[in-house]
Amino acid sequence: MSSEQQNQPVTGRLGALGRRTFLKAGATAGVVAATLPISQAIWAQSGKVLRARAYADLDALDPGFYQNAYNVDVMNCIYSKLVRYKSGREWDWELEAAEEIEQVDPTHIRFKLRPGIMFTGGYGEMTAEDVKFSFERVIEHDSPIKGDWGPLDHVEVTDKYSGVIVLKEPFQPLWSITLPYGAGHIVSKKAVTEAVADGGSFGMEPPAFSGPYVLKEWKPDQYVHLTRNPEWTGPEPGFDEIRIIPMDDDKTAEIAYEAGDIDYTGISLASLDQYKNDLPDETALEEYPSLYYVWLGQNLDNPELQDPNLRKAIQWAINVPQVLDAAYFGQAQPSTGIIAPGLVGHREASLIPPEGDPEKAREFLKQAGAEGKRLTLETLNASTWKTIAEVIQAQLAQIGLDVQINVQDSGSFWTMGMESEGERWKEIQLIVNRFSMVPDPYYATEWFTCEQVGIWNWERFCSEEFDRLHAEAVTVTDSAKRAAMYHRMQDLMEESGAYRFLTHEGSPVMWRETVVEPSHRPDGRPLYRHFKPV
Amino acid sequence: MAEVPAAGRRFRETALGQHLGQLLRDQLGLLGLVLVLLVVLSALFAGWIAPYDPLKIYAGPRLAPPSWEHWFGTDHLGRDILSRVIAGGQVALQVAAATIAAALTLGIALGLLAGYGPEWLDNLLLLLFDAVRSFPVIIFALAVVTLLGPSLYTVILVVTISSVPIYARIVRTQTQAMKHNEFILAERAMGAGPLRILGVHILPNVVGPLLILASMDVPLVIAVEAGLSFLGMGVRPPTPSWGTILNDGYNYIRNSPWPVIAGGIPIVVVTLGFTFLGEALRDIFDPKLRKDL
Repeated sequence: MSSEQQNQPVTGRLGALGRRTFLKAGATAGVVAATLPISQAIWAQSGKVLRARAYADLDALDPGFYQNAYNVDVMNCIYSKLVRYKSGREWDWELEAAEEIEQVDPTHIRFKLRPGIMFTGGYGEMTAEDVKFSFERVIEHDSPIKGDWGPLDHVEVTDKYSGVIVLKEPFQPLWSITLPYGAGHIVSKKAVTEAVADGGSFGMEPPAFSGPYVLKEWKPDQYVHLTRNPEWTGPEPGFDEIRIIPMDDDKTAEIAYEAGDIDYTGISLASLDQYKNDLPDETALEEYPSLYYVWLGQNLDNPELQDPNLRKAIQWAINVPQVLDAAYFGQAQPSTGIIAPGLVGHREASLIPPEGDPEKAREFLKQAGAEGKRLTLETLNASTWKTIAEVIQAQLAQIGLDVQINVQDSGSFWTMGMESEGERWKEIQLIVNRFSMVPDPYYATEWFTCEQVGIWNWERFCSEEFDRLHAEAVTVTDSAKRAAMYHRMQDLMEESGAYRFLTHEGSPVMWRETVVEPSHRPDGRPLYRHFKPV
Repeated sequence: MAEVPAAGRRFRETALGQHLGQLLRDQLGLLGLVLVLLVVLSALFAGWIAPYDPLKIYAGPRLAPPSWEHWFGTDHLGRDILSRVIAGGQVALQVAAATIAAALTLGIALGLLAGYGPEWLDNLLLLLFDAVRSFPVIIFALAVVTLLGPSLYTVILVVTISSVPIYARIVRTQTQAMKHNEFILAERAMGAGPLRILGVHILPNVVGPLLILASMDVPLVIAVEAGLSFLGMGVRPPTPSWGTILNDGYNYIRNSPWPVIAGGIPIVVVTLGFTFLGEALRDIFDPKLRKDL
């Protein structure tokens, strides 16, 4: 290079290249880069590695203080509990850490641990003292999930491996949600009290593991990496490693699956029909009934919604099958309440027929004198939710209501109705909402009590009868009587005008059948612990 | 009314004619002008051109491919995509016009103040400009949307605030360079106040380059609006915006790619159009950059 060329300004050289030439070259390079199998190179692995997708990232690893189902999916792998959900299509439980367990009477459950279950880090064998510590700390530390343990009084230790769980009063959800789910996991008393002096929450840093896997690494918003527990004495788990990658958007997960970045994922109901007709190679697809419940809520404390006739008009204007056809492409069925089919308390029909009745809605609207009224509808920034909101907006427009949709991102949406987060709960008028649950109706109704107003009860529905039934129903052993109580509770919700029940959705999952043979709960949630390599 | 001298009128006509002639002779400039006119006219006459009501659900079958009835196909709610693209142009141009007008006005005012005012004011305003520019637009938008809620006005506010420092810095630099020129010193010596100096002598000299810059910023502003709407932080549903059309289409891209293609085409057209036109105008008005020199 000559000295003249060296002294030429950089801009001059770029100028000689030409901006358009540069853009052309850049575009060509982009196309070439896009065709390279980069993603596969990044994730190239050896050994038995499962790459699965979670719909959200971890936010709690202490089973006494868990927040959401995706945390429990990981806890199932790294801890043990007395009993666990059976995989399959029917809700049932089976023994895990317990060798024996029986309900001696309505308030006493006797258990005996399987000997030889070891905690990692030199914390020794799992004993009945650990069980006592794990269950009682949930109540003692006023955990947000203490409701899962309901009327737990204490745990009596009878010998090294045996004990008795003592309840203050009968508690039916014990076998369906407490013992086999998050709150039933057993932690090491010694390890936890060393890590946290008062035995409270250890957050995201488990001091010891007792399951077939251990947490090797958690990179927030990137992945959870589980590896085999070398001290595990039970049946060998299927995979050497499990990588769980958080992706909150179903479509992103579907694209990642097709690109070969993951081998197991849930898919959206909107994509189900497409995948049924055109399944990717070496892929299996299964649909499971879901326990989610989706509804349109109305804030009973909002001044604009004080007239019961207006609330009824909104309920009757909504044609649920139309909403579901648009949002789920006909792959979801209308719901009759908050309790899914197959569970105690599921209603055969809602009070308002799914199709609604626009004429009746107009009559109620006329009685309310609210023709042309403007209302707001809050929804999460997710495609299905927005579609639901848009169809409801169009249906309400047909009876003469002018609805403005407010799309909220997840951080903003999930705190909207909480009084602890400010005054935004007052602005809520209509809201599309969705909750998940575990297989006991108690878990569905507990969010709609007066105590939950301003916490998770954003419609601010408060009924003394509802609260009384909610408290009584957990103690009733007669299934028919219990079911009738939950039917009545859902009737009360609907009669208040605050709820229009939409659907329980569905849980389609897809996996690479040349890589993994999965195992699921009846609602389609993964039981990674039992996944096997092919 | 004072009569314009014939020689002066002829000069202006000649200059305008020359510039227009130069623009028409520049192939890319002409293409840019045509594309810009296409977008602007279709947005202005959207009500007459759009074949369907862009908000009407089930105007046709859902996710239908392009056909004679629906040239760009239909979306997941059976809405005509062509009609939504045309209506989306109105949103895009509204945002662009409002944002650039507001950003120019504020940018010029603050830039003149910073460039002509005392040093402490200059330092304070520079600090403010740098502080605003240090926020990535999307993160800034997220914060504002959380506070005010998503709407067209929120988009305009976010993009305006992000754009003001760019214009203000250019005006400041030009003002500082100009304020020590002899003709300004002479004007000051004759007793002219700061307002007269800024308004009559400095402003006309800085505004020309800014207008060219603003024309080239139009696609940038439209892309930001589309990006925010794609992320759900822009216009409220069911208002059509090119970003929301892309977002709606993205969910069905595997089997129905046409909504994404249809939502992307106008963004490409408007970007190319304003870029080509802006480059041609810059070549015309800045002789140093003229290709034939």
